Amino acid sequence: MRALLSFIGYRLFRALITLWIVSTVVFVVMRLSGDPVPLLLPPDAPRSEIFRVRAELGLDRPLPVQYGVFLGNVLRGDFGRSIHFREPASRVVMGYLPATLELGLTAFLFAVVVAVPVGLLSAVRRNTFLDHATMGVALVGQSAPTFFIGILFILLLSLKGGWFPTSGRGTWAHLALPALTLALFTMASVARLTRSAVLEVLRADYIRTARAKGLAELLVVAKHTFKNAAIPIVTITGLQFGTLLGGAVVTETVFAWPGIGRLAIQSIYNRDYPVVQCVVFLSAVLFIVLNFLIDLIYGFLDPRIRSR
Amino acid sequence: MTLTRRDLLKGAAAAGVVAAVADPLARPASAQTTRKRELVWAQGGDVSTFDPHISTSSNDIRVSFNIFDNLVSRHPDGKLNPGLATEWKIQGQTAWVFKIRQGATWHTGDPFTAADAKWSLERTYDPAHKTRVSTVFTSIDRIEAPDPATLVIHTKKPDPLLPARLAFYGGQIVSRKYFEAAGADGFRSKPVGTGPVRFVSWTRDDKLVLEANPDYWGGKPDFDRMIVRPVPEMASRIAALLKGEVDIITQVTPDHNDRINANPTTRAVGALYAGLYVLAVNSKMPPLDNPLVKQALSLAIDRDLIVKELWRGRGIVPSGPIAKGDNHFDGSLPPLAYNPKEARERLKKAGYKGEEIFIETTSGYTANDKPMSEAIQAMWRDVGINAKVEVLEYSVRAQKNRDKTFKGLWWSDPTSTLGDPDGMMWRLLGPGGPQDYWRHARWDELGDKARFSVDEKFRGEAYKEMTKIVLEHFPWIPVIQPYEDYGMQKYVEWTPNPNQQFEIRRFNFKFRRA
Repeated sequence: MRALLSFIGYRLFRALITLWIVSTVVFVVMRLSGDPVPLLLPPDAPRSEIFRVRAELGLDRPLPVQYGVFLGNVLRGDFGRSIHFREPASRVVMGYLPATLELGLTAFLFAVVVAVPVGLLSAVRRNTFLDHATMGVALVGQSAPTFFIGILFILLLSLKGGWFPTSGRGTWAHLALPALTLALFTMASVARLTRSAVLEVLRADYIRTARAKGLAELLVVAKHTFKNAAIPIVTITGLQFGTLLGGAVVTETVFAWPGIGRLAIQSIYNRDYPVVQCVVFLSAVLFIVLNFLIDLIYGFLDPRIRSR
Repeated sequence: MTLTRRDLLKGAAAAGVVAAVADPLARPASAQTTRKRELVWAQGGDVSTFDPHISTSSNDIRVSFNIFDNLVSRHPDGKLNPGLATEWKIQGQTAWVFKIRQGATWHTGDPFTAADAKWSLERTYDPAHKTRVSTVFTSIDRIEAPDPATLVIHTKKPDPLLPARLAFYGGQIVSRKYFEAAGADGFRSKPVGTGPVRFVSWTRDDKLVLEANPDYWGGKPDFDRMIVRPVPEMASRIAALLKGEVDIITQVTPDHNDRINANPTTRAVGALYAGLYVLAVNSKMPPLDNPLVKQALSLAIDRDLIVKELWRGRGIVPSGPIAKGDNHFDGSLPPLAYNPKEARERLKKAGYKGEEIFIETTSGYTANDKPMSEAIQAMWRDVGINAKVEVLEYSVRAQKNRDKTFKGLWWSDPTSTLGDPDGMMWRLLGPGGPQDYWRHARWDELGDKARFSVDEKFRGEAYKEMTKIVLEHFPWIPVIQPYEDYGMQKYVEWTPNPNQQFEIRRFNFKFRRA
């Protein structure tokens, strides 16, 4: 029990350090990227007007002061007011979050439900036509850019086939294409990884033993192989959720999906520091929580890790 | 391998063909009429605020010009028409008297009066309101509303363009009573105007729902609801149009026109942009301080080829710094000439010794900016100019624009906000303006006099002379006046505005009914 608590405590401490580094990096990078004021005002605005707006947004104060104010506010959960939307940044981001979670979770489920059985099957049926075909498709899925796949789906399944709306959010039909597009990359990596993880285990001595003692092949695969192969699969699959959040930036833009990925891109263009900071911070929190959960599952799957 | 200009243009053309390959759905001819009571249109980005005095971005004004009215309305043909003011005249040199429309009401049902107009215009430059249009009405001295039907605007000096200023951004009239009741936050998220549509609901980056105002003074528009969808990707906007999910899409680039026109139920419609695409010049930077060099730069550009290949014919070659359609545009001037031989001569006469000349372009900030830069670079190299193209990130461009630190030439797509050279050439190139990199005593004198003269004949002569000076010194090298293209269903009958106002009124919009 004590080991478990110190394991959790250590992870929490690391998570906090990570969050601090992430928020500092975003703060610095956003300020390096330029001044939002020229983008807010008409091109012929006089300099006095620019200085007035800079002061109004607090951008005329020295950077260390701005940073101090920023950190203090973040500790209180306040990311400041959005320059573009003129309301609290956290409220803006929270408004966009449900759409991204809906898309991300659907894509994630999609990917796992398809990819794990496919990977397992092609490992067991190694070097057959099925193996080559699925891995070929996976390679394409992994290498084709999301943008291209998205447009292709719109052309084929929406415009030609007429089965799905081209873009927007609303019914399940609106969700299908963006979720599939987003899932494709994850699906491909998880399938390929599952295959190699299972193959690795299939070569282990205890599998040979299991077969030698006359266990049915189904039992060998389901009980002995899969559980042992699950550790790398869980790790990578969990990390892939982060990739999904990243991929959402492109997918949400192509499908006009009102999520935080698109919000992030627009906010970067608008130099809307508070919103970008809040989106990145929130994504980092999501990612860290997920990693934390994976670590816990890990410990459950492999007791040796817990005691380390 | 060295790329010639022609290779480059061929490549651009091929890319366009690939984009047009996917053939659209064939639909029956009956789709050319409709029973729809809902107008759905898509633009490249979402509204950021509904307070019309807080933003000048095109995504915002496309909506705000429909929720709100101006005192004066600029119609798609460029002419000024009555809006919330039914007539106006100048008294003496500095007093404009407006007759206010009777019977117009706010979406709340309250009557609109001259006092509302007075408050709304004063608000634009009231520091307490922190508006983004505080520079639009700097010529105004004071405003009086002696009775509900009369508004008198006194200007500091004679301002011939006051009615034109009232017709564009900053001039949308907002309700004092509602603003004070709703507060700034309430107003910008749930607006009340006098326009043909009124606010219903808004889900950010998803959709905005508006409904027709049945009591609109200009007549109820030909639909019950208007839905605005932000669809950032051009390809997705086109797909939504071809599939019939939306009725109108904005910001169609020239390479997509063919595809929209090839589809049996849709068509592309354009309005000649009220403005120009120019290469602005830092005339302080040698060798660009030499007019002969700039004349050579202009003469070496094959604008016809650019219009034909990069814009698919969707544009015209300008004749000078005044856009076609504007006051005092001189129709007798020929399009800017292409003469590489003469360009070489002038370079020789200027003593040009191969100094580097930079085009600082963005990629996609204005339509075709990077392809045009590369084509022009190749054209300039053909006559012996050592041209370099540098690609800037948008924010770097914004910064350089503000600090006036461009080192050579850069793209600018000025909008003629007033339909007059004063609102474009003088606004940008004038002393202290955002593109003040060149001064010429006579030009400055003429521009200043024309701004404050109510004698149109004098103004016409002044702008003629100013054009001549620009065509000798080239503080701008005008390249193209393009069309602003929209895609729409064939059952939509609508005439777009040339200046992105996207006005949808009864006089310019209807559905073709069966």
